[in-house]
Amino acid sequence: MTDFLTLILQQSINGIYLGCLYVIVALGLTLIYGVMNQINFAHADFVTVGAFVAFFATTRFLTKVLGLSDTTGYLLSIFLALGAGALLGLLINALVFAPLRNRGDELRPLIATIGVSVLLENGQLALFGPIPFQFDSPFAQQTIRFGKIFFSQQSLLVVIVAALAIGALYVFMKFTYLGKALRAVSQDRETAGLMGINETFLIGLTIVIASALAGMAGALLGPVIVLTPFAGTSLIVKAFAIVIIGGFGNMEGTIVAGILVGLIEAFTVQYLGSGLIDLVVFTLLLVMLVVKPTGLIAERREENV
Amino acid sequence: MNALLETRELRKSFGGVKAVAGISMAVPEKSIFAVIGPNGAGKSTLMNLLSGTYQPDSGELRFAGRQLAGLPAHQRARLGLARTFQKIRLFKQLSLLDNVLAGFHIRHQVPAWQYLLPGAAFWRDWTRCRQEGLALLEFVGLGELAAQRAGSLAYGQQRMLEIARALATQPKLFMLDEPAAGLNAAEVAFLLQRLRDIRDRGITVVVVEHNMDLVMKVADHVFVMDHGEFLFEGPPKAVQSNPSVIEAYLGGEFESGALA
Amino acid sequence: MSGLAAALRRDVRWPGYLGALVVLLLLPLVLGTPYWRGILIVCAMNVLLAMSLNLVIGYTGQLNLGQSGFFAIGAYVTTVLLKSYGWNFWLACVAAVLASGLVGLLLAAFAARLRGHYLGIASLGFAVIVYQILINWESVTKGVRGIYGIRPPPLAIPGFPDLNFANQAALFYLVAGIALLVYLLLDNLLRSPIGETLRAIREDEISAASLGVNSAKWKAFSFSLSAAIAGLAGCFYPGFVGTLVPDAFNIVESFTMLAMVVVGGMGTMIGPVVGAIVLTFLPELLRGFGDLRLIVYGLALTLVVLFMPGGMVQAWQLLRARFSGGRPQHASGADGVGR
Repeated sequence: MTDFLTLILQQSINGIYLGCLYVIVALGLTLIYGVMNQINFAHADFVTVGAFVAFFATTRFLTKVLGLSDTTGYLLSIFLALGAGALLGLLINALVFAPLRNRGDELRPLIATIGVSVLLENGQLALFGPIPFQFDSPFAQQTIRFGKIFFSQQSLLVVIVAALAIGALYVFMKFTYLGKALRAVSQDRETAGLMGINETFLIGLTIVIASALAGMAGALLGPVIVLTPFAGTSLIVKAFAIVIIGGFGNMEGTIVAGILVGLIEAFTVQYLGSGLIDLVVFTLLLVMLVVKPTGLIAERREENV
Repeated sequence: MNALLETRELRKSFGGVKAVAGISMAVPEKSIFAVIGPNGAGKSTLMNLLSGTYQPDSGELRFAGRQLAGLPAHQRARLGLARTFQKIRLFKQLSLLDNVLAGFHIRHQVPAWQYLLPGAAFWRDWTRCRQEGLALLEFVGLGELAAQRAGSLAYGQQRMLEIARALATQPKLFMLDEPAAGLNAAEVAFLLQRLRDIRDRGITVVVVEHNMDLVMKVADHVFVMDHGEFLFEGPPKAVQSNPSVIEAYLGGEFESGALA
Repeated sequence: MSGLAAALRRDVRWPGYLGALVVLLLLPLVLGTPYWRGILIVCAMNVLLAMSLNLVIGYTGQLNLGQSGFFAIGAYVTTVLLKSYGWNFWLACVAAVLASGLVGLLLAAFAARLRGHYLGIASLGFAVIVYQILINWESVTKGVRGIYGIRPPPLAIPGFPDLNFANQAALFYLVAGIALLVYLLLDNLLRSPIGETLRAIREDEISAASLGVNSAKWKAFSFSLSAAIAGLAGCFYPGFVGTLVPDAFNIVESFTMLAMVVVGGMGTMIGPVVGAIVLTFLPELLRGFGDLRLIVYGLALTLVVLFMPGGMVQAWQLLRARFSGGRPQHASGADGVGR
């Protein structure tokens, strides 16, 4: 294989790996929006919390206290992070979304979640300090080679987990009763309610699932990003970019968009340097908003006058 | 009489559904012109086309001789076109008076710098607007409630507030989209009297309505639509006894009071 | 006619302004240490920033999460013109304000058709882009290393080139004086028909259009004025801190400004001022708790949105109503309560 092709392939793999991580995060956001037309601004901070939970679980608790091996500890920490995310989701639903649900104001919950985001970030700052943590996944050391292309076991793990999560979500949405009920609620909440579907429960469930995904993403993202309490701020805007490009509430679109952003990031790092990643992605976001604010795949809704 | 508002072959479709399919009409000056038709006839779409909320797919639209196609809603308001909405769109957080004051937007005559440092011209305008605003509230029977929050009004009162606010723009043509919907009999009677008063002040009134009763009592001229197309037009009595009109109302949805 | 008399009643405002002026004059004397005077200066800047954000969010109803970007533009344009091109500080300031206003205009034109969430995200994206430009455009902004040795604004008295606002009390008087002036002009503007127009856009754009309001034009006006005021605040920031780094303009700053507006009382004039003062001083008073004190911002914002959405102004109005035995429901408007 030529060097150029090898490079492209290598970066593509990196891009897909990164993209999978972004997809897991963005899916949560889009799920929440789909089912109740709200944005959880603290979503990316759930990711950060998940990352910290996984970090401390892996490096302190599971290995040192319980004496598990590094790899088992890490895998277990993914589940712990998932649980932490779910818990946060439960809390934010009970404290913010549920009380404000029927007040009609579109923006109040958004601003409340901004408050929660700031709260979480400063809370973590008080607990962990501003210095980045070095989160080394035990899988990051081992690499797998295909000819001149190599990737770490970590990236393989990420892709597998992402595929499993997305697959599970897909099956859940399309084939189970709860999943279909959820889709009904996102399309028309009132009618769904009239048909006996308990929207309150379902909306709460969605938020818990979405936040669990965020937590889990944190465990996987921890080794890749600069792990500080403020990691959420740059992540949330990227997640928004993905959700907008893919279309709010649109699962397939978000998956495509996430991988796309991951690829863009990988190639930007290669050709333009890592400092310009955010600039490129966010300029793309702004362009999208002008050209097609409803996303690449979504449909337009006419306002009823 | 001159036609203040004219349309020719006006068309608007939404994704394959022909909401308005070739409507040509002429609204005479200083009259009350009613547009009626069964549910789904396209009346509200027509009104949105006239006011500029939607732009037509094709056809002509003239107001006082001027072409309206392409003009956005706010510019039509400046030309003298006012309207109310089927779903009441008030400024709920503001007081009644503040709602009406908003209607004076196009009529202020104050040098720009005085918006930062008020001078004589500013205060003259300020006083005049409030006097006129209160007078308009009195006209619709809401003078006592001027300082109350608009969101706290009863439905019928909200309707009348919307009318007062639209009148503040001093329109030449006033369009109302189903003003009688949700009003009780006394409120409807009050509304009818107000519409007559408005016409008598020289303002042309276009009313889109379901309520045949109202139409018969107050309209000078009636225009009937069905499925986006023109069906019949004429004075109220003629419309009432026209066989195709009766069939449209009978054949489609039942409307209480559809047959007098 | 009592209704007419009530409607024509004009608020007497000059005693309030006079009182504020007196308080401002006395503050640096009461809080005499350099540390607290520094806090006072920061507070004055925060007041300007909160007022500017409130114009767009509270009065025009547009969710702008990118205000830190305009603050940054004001600070960097002033500093670069000052240090790299040797401009006079005051001219640089004017240029910076114009630059911010212009960028605000562009953002508004760009975001004209965006609503709610989309606008919030777009404005956030804008702030991130500004931040990234500051970090990456090293030839001009010196990137993360920052620009050093920025001197405080000079007193432009001919013949005395060395007099400047290095004295903190003097700098406070300057910034606070400007803030008071801006408050006065903005208050007049928002009580005028222009304020009515902006509120109409906030409440319902479609019916506002039916009344002749060109909402795109007025949103652009609101955005660019807001940006210009934020830029104005930015002019004084570098001279105060001496060193200018991009990190001061992280998007988290936008959220802090949002917290000040919301906690104080969105959509009123005095609200953002109160919010800025409270959220500047409260973390200082809580210094004993270490970094934990920063959760004040997030906690205050969340609690206020959940339980008292009108902020401290609403709390105050409720208290007043309770003590005067309750009154029929009055609205907040151009000439009523809640200015």
